[in-house]
Amino acid sequence: MLMGEVMREAAFSLAEAKFTAGDFSTTVIQNVNKAQVKIRAKKDNVAGVTLPVFEHYQEGTDSYELTGLARGGEQLAKLKRNYAKAVELLVELASLQTSFVTLDEAIKITNRRVNAIEHVIIPRIERTLAYIITELDEREREEFYRLKKIQEKKKILKEKCEKDLEQRRAAGEVMEPANLLAEEKDEDLLFE
Amino acid sequence: MLEGAELYFNVDHGYLEGLVRGCKAGLLTERDYVNLVQCETLEDLKIHLQTTDYGNFLANQTNPLTVSKIDTEMRKKLCSEFEYFRNHSLEPLSTFFTYMTCSYMIDNVILLMNGALQKKSVKEILVKCHPLGRFTEMEAVNIAETPSDLFNAVLIETPLAPFFQDCMSENILDELNIELLRNKLYKSYLEAFYKFCKNHGDVTAEIMCPILEFEADRRAFIITLNSFGTELSKEDRETLFPTCGKLHPEGLRLLAQAEDFEQMKRVAEHYGVYKPLFEAVGDGSGGKTLEDVFYEHEVQMNVLAFNRQFHYGVFYAYTKLKEQEMRNIVWIAECISQRHRTKINNYIPIL
Repeated sequence: MLMGEVMREAAFSLAEAKFTAGDFSTTVIQNVNKAQVKIRAKKDNVAGVTLPVFEHYQEGTDSYELTGLARGGEQLAKLKRNYAKAVELLVELASLQTSFVTLDEAIKITNRRVNAIEHVIIPRIERTLAYIITELDEREREEFYRLKKIQEKKKILKEKCEKDLEQRRAAGEVMEPANLLAEEKDEDLLFE
Repeated sequence: MLEGAELYFNVDHGYLEGLVRGCKAGLLTERDYVNLVQCETLEDLKIHLQTTDYGNFLANQTNPLTVSKIDTEMRKKLCSEFEYFRNHSLEPLSTFFTYMTCSYMIDNVILLMNGALQKKSVKEILVKCHPLGRFTEMEAVNIAETPSDLFNAVLIETPLAPFFQDCMSENILDELNIELLRNKLYKSYLEAFYKFCKNHGDVTAEIMCPILEFEADRRAFIITLNSFGTELSKEDRETLFPTCGKLHPEGLRLLAQAEDFEQMKRVAEHYGVYKPLFEAVGDGSGGKTLEDVFYEHEVQMNVLAFNRQFHYGVFYAYTKLKEQEMRNIVWIAECISQRHRTKINNYIPIL
């Protein structure tokens, strides 16, 4: 059911009705008061986006029932049916169009966020990460170096001490303290 | 009234009858219609119409040419011809012309009443009124507050006054649906016209009375057909049938009881004239509708009116044929402009 076909059919049935019934346009325009076909909007959720959906309903009776009573009534009835069909299609089309526009907006917004995150947020965080890592590495290296230096210093000090001790031992000034661990026969102390 | 009209007719009306016969000779023929149907655009249509009696009636139109412009110009032409006839007429032909304009006046009055009730501006409605239905009190319509005021102040001067009296006798003019009012007015108009023709007697009565009887019966059939499935009750329906036709009184009573097309057809079968018409009706799409069949029959009767002389029916027939021709041309123009050529041959052929 293409929109173009339906509209063409409706326009042609208008011509047919005018042919048989004469000019009823002024009668129709004069008698307009309330709309017969009305639209309700409902909300529909698609992938997290709320879309409005239009649904038509009839209200009230057909106030043009007796138009063309004397001439062309059949053509007028056909005309009314054709245009009612066209209006239904138009309502559907309107629903589709609004959903299209709304979804389009939503997609644009999401796209922008994606781009922002991809090109701005993530590099920033990555840079921060890289910096932190380099800092930590630096500090570790510094620590390592400091420890190494301390060890060297300690070694030098120890060597110096050893040398000193050797010298004093050679001079016979030092007594070896008793070595608890050396095996010495210790005579039993008996009560005498 | 006057027997031997051929002795007296030409004194008063001979010039006009000659004129109308000349105009009738200018109606489009079958060959013209064939040419028009083959046009591709509206410009072609205009060129073809220039070779006919219409001449350069569209010469002053700016582009783009639309179907409504063609329609307006044709109607202007018909009105100027009609006014010419009317202004040159003497009694009782001028009363006859007044009767002819009454049907357009009824439409205009309904329009004006509707507009006045809804407080619309009179000027814009006046533009849409049918020019043949003009009457002098038209602009004064908006001073009336209610329809009965309207009647007492304005319409009582027009020729439509007696028709309103039939409707107002029930004194429910305020609540009547506009369509019902229109049809009731038309019914009393038709009956008054019929009486006038019958009283005139002579050839006019012989020609006009069958035409008016057919019109009355046709309205009865169409009203019945169109009221199936609507809220129009059977009693209301019966009040809309004009009683000056062949169907009165039995047929009208049966029609008022009819519920669908088959029952209507059975009523028509009792009358020799209408039986073949109903049989020519096709079913659904593709065949002819009842209205098409009626239009063809009306056209035939109008064409036959020209076979006799010395009567007023030629004027009525000419106007009706010219209107049908206008409708045909507008139909062909619409088919061309909407590029929907499948039904372009559905016009009613005249000559």
